[in-house]
Amino acid sequence: MRPILEVVDVSHTYPNGVHALRKVSLAVNPGEFLVVIGLSGSGKSTLLRTINRLLEPSDGRILFDGADIAHITGEDLRRHRSRIGMIFQHFNLIDRHSVLKNVLYGALGATSTMSSILNRFSREQIAEALHNLDIVGIADKAEMRADALSGGQKQRVAIARALMQHPKVLLADEPVASLDPATSHSVMQYLEKVNRELGMTVICNLHFLSLVRQYASRVVALKHGALVFDGHPEEITDEWFTAIYGEDAREVEIR
Amino acid sequence: MKHSSTTSLLFASLIDAVLGATLWASLWRVVLPQFGGYTPETFGTIDVLGMSMLAGVLIVLGNTTEGSLGRAFVSGGMPPSSRGRSIVRHLGWLSFVITIWTGWIITKISPIEFFSSEGLQGAGRIFGALVRPNMSIVPQALEAMVVTVFTALMATVVAVPLAFLISFPAARNVMSASAGERAVYTSIRAVLNIARSMEPVIWAVIFSVWVGIGPFAGMLALVVHTIASLAKQYSEQIEDINDGPIEAIAATGANRLQNIWFAIVPQVVIPFLSFTIYRWDINVRMATIIGFVGGGGIGTLLTQYQGLAKFQEVGTLVIIITLVVWILDVASARIREALK
Repeated sequence: MRPILEVVDVSHTYPNGVHALRKVSLAVNPGEFLVVIGLSGSGKSTLLRTINRLLEPSDGRILFDGADIAHITGEDLRRHRSRIGMIFQHFNLIDRHSVLKNVLYGALGATSTMSSILNRFSREQIAEALHNLDIVGIADKAEMRADALSGGQKQRVAIARALMQHPKVLLADEPVASLDPATSHSVMQYLEKVNRELGMTVICNLHFLSLVRQYASRVVALKHGALVFDGHPEEITDEWFTAIYGEDAREVEIR
Repeated sequence: MKHSSTTSLLFASLIDAVLGATLWASLWRVVLPQFGGYTPETFGTIDVLGMSMLAGVLIVLGNTTEGSLGRAFVSGGMPPSSRGRSIVRHLGWLSFVITIWTGWIITKISPIEFFSSEGLQGAGRIFGALVRPNMSIVPQALEAMVVTVFTALMATVVAVPLAFLISFPAARNVMSASAGERAVYTSIRAVLNIARSMEPVIWAVIFSVWVGIGPFAGMLALVVHTIASLAKQYSEQIEDINDGPIEAIAATGANRLQNIWFAIVPQVVIPFLSFTIYRWDINVRMATIIGFVGGGGIGTLLTQYQGLAKFQEVGTLVIIITLVVWILDVASARIREALK
């Protein structure tokens, strides 16, 4: 099977001199639920943001569907971003707008500037947005303002927004880090549903190993910006745990 | 840090030189003529000599004894030696006393005139006129006040869309993608700062020559100042927003215009409205003042009556201005409170 995404020797250095990624190489196959683990500051978020090119990597190649997208610009860059969905730790919805509009904004990349600014989304787009809200189980909230929702509901709206892009890959940057344990599982289950039922490749940054063991089909670990582990969730032994998180770390369960 | 200590020493000496020259000029040209009928000639050789002499004395004093105000200023502390400290203290007090003395003379402060019977009579006339306003000019005054309020309103309405458009390229977080964008940001900010430091009264003088005396000139003056002020306030609000939605909208493949419209604008509309209403309120006050220099409306009417020494009419106008400004102030505060 040809990988959908290949990260080849990617390094990234921020303008302040921090080496966030050091020669990371990684291939992701279609349909995988890949979880990236590592301490805060290990480069997880940077890695995700180079994949949909919210960040331009300093060095290396990123092959998406066979084409190198590491340094594309302009129209090419926007087309690339529109093929990859992303959800965030803080949901990043437009608080003052309705849930439905927030979902429709996932289609901005496929809508002309004029019709989007004049709020003229097509009937098909609106129907699709409602369908996507249905997938994440909150179609009844479509007309509510986004800031009236709970954290878990906001993250589900964010998933529905990402689905509007018909993405081949869904990036999730600490999707449950701001949520309580019960809600965390609900959001993870929707990601699992999207992965299994819609066949979408998911790349997800996570903190809790218990969630990793439950949802990941494959795990990679970053430490100081370098890839130190690549394998199955059950292969993360106590030795590996210490190697990834350091001597003082203790595993915390989330049920 | 040899280099920086040399420059700071030079800077200190420069301050000493300016201080010496100023002290000489104050003493020779302002304070001394107060005694014994001496009137200074036009600025001449003796001033140059005196000023450079005193400047030289202070520099030499500073470099030989550390007793230098300039050094104390540059280093932000007193010199280490006790002799230096004592000299700096005496020099400091001396310059302070001479400066205040000079200022007193130059601004022609005169308690005698303030409390003279003639002066008090004049004050009595004005305050008396204020409490006995001429009510017959109220219709005329209200008409002029309407002109002033509309001058302010039109200036705000014309300026807001322009300020809105300018505020985005004037926000650092919108213009950070390339060196070219940062240059645009810096130059727009510079132009705004210059336009803002020129008071609306000065703009009114310029525009009253350009389009003739009247409300239009006043409106144009306010437009310039309002654009500059609002664009700055707007852009600072833009710089203050949460970056998360910007990232999220960019991740959908949206272009920059869509990003501004969907990620930034919803976060700033309410504060923008609040700034705008407050600016209209300020503009009504400014429009009154601008009337004094040819901007039309109630300000112009006021200067006319004042020129004719018709103080009861002036009193009427002052009362109307105060009332309207007060009402608008309360109203705009209420609206802004409701917007929160």
